[in-house]
Amino acid sequence: MPDFKSLPSPDKPEEALAAVVALRLMADRLEREAVKKAVSQNWTWAQIAEALGVTRQAAHKRHASFISKKKVRKKKDK
Amino acid sequence: MFKRMKLRFRDIRTIGKLIPGADEEAHMMGEEEPGAEHFLLSALKLPDGTAQKVFERVGASPEQFKVAIKKQYSDALNAIGIDTNIMEYDPEPITTSRVLHNAQPSGQAVMKALYALKSHDKDRPLLGAHVVDIVARMEHGVAARAFKAMGLDQNIILSVVKDELDSFQC
Repeated sequence: MPDFKSLPSPDKPEEALAAVVALRLMADRLEREAVKKAVSQNWTWAQIAEALGVTRQAAHKRHASFISKKKVRKKKDK
Repeated sequence: MFKRMKLRFRDIRTIGKLIPGADEEAHMMGEEEPGAEHFLLSALKLPDGTAQKVFERVGASPEQFKVAIKKQYSDALNAIGIDTNIMEYDPEPITTSRVLHNAQPSGQAVMKALYALKSHDKDRPLLGAHVVDIVARMEHGVAARAFKAMGLDQNIILSVVKDELDSFQC
């Protein structure tokens, strides 16, 4: 875990906000990769949604268009 | 009248290259929606060549700008004590079946500013340098931080953009 004592001072909002943007990007990438792996391991959208703490519709809407069915099928066949 | 119509068609073609180009840049960098920085990278590939000329004149390249984008993310994470290895690898490009695309707020701001610019600058075609101008005016955000990481002064960029736009011949 990062040392949150080293968080930028509120007197420097530019630094703090830049860190928020970078964390968001990192979280998005991690979420996308994890969902892709989960789908390739036959998780249902309901299970993925439960794990992410969102509704099934929200999980599907956010990720389904980024998951190539062909790619996932190929991985499953291996 | 005819000249204006020709310019309008040309602008539509330019927008038709700029938006998909920005989408592609975002996807290549593992992001779902394009931000201002991706519109700038797309503008650098526009056939009018003006954005590229501006970059050349300030001693920058699209590759350096991409590296600077990564660097500003790494610096931001370093500042809160996070190991930045995750930002250093190239993410898997995103492929999507989405038909309707959206943009990050900074990308939407670029498009709005381009629209506003074209509503009062009707005698010149929309050029890559216009996009550089709009993005270089942004004081905050990823693109502004990337310029800073490259050591580029935004005022110098803006003066080179003005030069380039003034000397552009249709």
